[in-house]
Amino acid sequence: MLSLSVNGQSYPVDVPDDMPLLWVLRDVIGLTGTKFGCGIAQCGACTVHLDGQPVRSCVLPVGSIGNKAITTIEAVGNTPSGQKIQQAWLDVDVVQCGYCQSGQIMSAAALLQRTPNPSDADIDAAMSGNICRCGTYVRIRAAIKQAATGKLEILQTIVSAPEGARS
Amino acid sequence: MTRFLIVVVLVLLLGVGAYFYLNRTDSAEGSAPPIAGAPPSAEVLARGEYLAKAADCIACHTVPGSGNAFAGGVAFRLPFGTLYSSNITADEASGIGSWSDDDFVRAVREGVRKDGEHLYPAFPYTSYTQMSRSDVLAIKAYLFSLPKISQADKANDLSFPYNQRWAMGFWNAAFFKSQRFAPDPSQSPQWNSGKYLAIALGHCAECHTPRNAGFGLEHGNELAGEKLQGWRAYNITSDPQHGIGAWSNSDIASYLTAGHADGKGSAAGPMAEVVENSLRFLNPADTAALVTYLRTVPAREGKDPITIDAATAPAIASNNAGPGGGTANTDNSGIKLFEGACASCHQWNGQGQQTPYASLLGTRGVNDVRGTNVTQVLLHGSDMRFAGPNIFMPTFGDAYSNTEIAALSNYVISHFGNKQGTVTADDVARRRKGL
Repeated sequence: MLSLSVNGQSYPVDVPDDMPLLWVLRDVIGLTGTKFGCGIAQCGACTVHLDGQPVRSCVLPVGSIGNKAITTIEAVGNTPSGQKIQQAWLDVDVVQCGYCQSGQIMSAAALLQRTPNPSDADIDAAMSGNICRCGTYVRIRAAIKQAATGKLEILQTIVSAPEGARS
Repeated sequence: MTRFLIVVVLVLLLGVGAYFYLNRTDSAEGSAPPIAGAPPSAEVLARGEYLAKAADCIACHTVPGSGNAFAGGVAFRLPFGTLYSSNITADEASGIGSWSDDDFVRAVREGVRKDGEHLYPAFPYTSYTQMSRSDVLAIKAYLFSLPKISQADKANDLSFPYNQRWAMGFWNAAFFKSQRFAPDPSQSPQWNSGKYLAIALGHCAECHTPRNAGFGLEHGNELAGEKLQGWRAYNITSDPQHGIGAWSNSDIASYLTAGHADGKGSAAGPMAEVVENSLRFLNPADTAALVTYLRTVPAREGKDPITIDAATAPAIASNNAGPGGGTANTDNSGIKLFEGACASCHQWNGQGQQTPYASLLGTRGVNDVRGTNVTQVLLHGSDMRFAGPNIFMPTFGDAYSNTEIAALSNYVISHFGNKQGTVTADDVARRRKGL
């Protein structure tokens, strides 16, 4: 029996050591926000954080995690960088079909935590492993910069909170 | 005129004499030093199975994934054509079911098959000649205990004159010596066991020893490294700089049995197959013996020596998720490909994320300016799932052009090896063909 620390909660799971974390998260624990994309660490859809570092959960055997803290898309909004990224995502309206976005947000939140004011090259290096078939890359870049600087980077297509309301 | 004829006849006689002298057979049965995994007390089939694994018969005689164990048909692409391995199951018609013990021993140790025709030295009788008759026959007993598979051998596709099997008699006269393993009494029993495992069963030299212009093994240059089928078999002499002299015993043992040594590298391509099919089954005492022997192989520099920089400035300046040292601003296609397809597993600091098998720092691959094995692993990926479910790399050969693979290889060599790579699109095209 393994014990996993996911989003600050401890989950005892009875799974083989070599089961990829993604399967445990989705099928055993029931956190389905993390998505399966390619299964070979090439698309980024399954990105979660291990002690704050982005990892591809589809190829990470659960037995190798030990007591490292796992953070998924369900709880990344509780971290300062995750909160900023998610708000910018809403303001810029990054998402199109949305399938890759939990992975995009996890990679972006890790980037912002590490590099509070990332350059274009930093964004390229951190985000190129996350693929988006809808091609939302322009808005992803804008949202990351907006989250970092607080300055509007691109036309805000949707106002996520009514004017005058507390955000 | 008469004198001239006499000279011609004499020269012919001398030639024929030399041919037969050089092709003479060592009549000794031979004896093997103790092999921990196959003690003489063990049942013959168990010994045979272990020895067949130690000799890695299955790698060449089984098409991967076919399920037809030992039925042959594996293609070997050589510069002068393609050879196919033969069916060595006990099927009477298409395999070796009708072979006597003597037939089998002669084939394995002399390279002559039942019908008297020469085998090509792609079959390593040049190494197996060192084996004891009892070991060879244990392997035969094991093979004959397995299911017979009816599968006709594929005809070789070799160009003239390589398709003339009789000519191998001359090759043998020049490069092959029938001889049994001779233990060295001045060395420990463990060392002798290791040597037998390396030179008779494991036939390491067939890939790791340089070959001369006639494709014979270069004596005096044992295990100094060679290139074959488009891959580089590295220098595994005790040379601390160019070989494995600086590796610890446990590094070597780990590489042999698990296909990876931390900070030294992971097996891929043909060597990964050797680990998968053969070395990981060795008894720990036999692995230790092999390590003991390898440690004593005289240091040699070898061709195109590789100098390892295990802590390159660009990689040290990077962290796990981003490049450092100013490389981030480099506008080159290699870095773009790396950040998109490679960084999420290998990381910018080369540590490897999901598995230490993905670490790149300190490996010979990224320190080889020719990038031979880097391009091969990019083209063909790597599958080590026998060692763990996540130990594999996808193939990129169909996704990227030769120019892209070359740019990516050179970037990897500069970032993780701190060297100017020399890989060109033409190199990649050749390596795609396994040349």
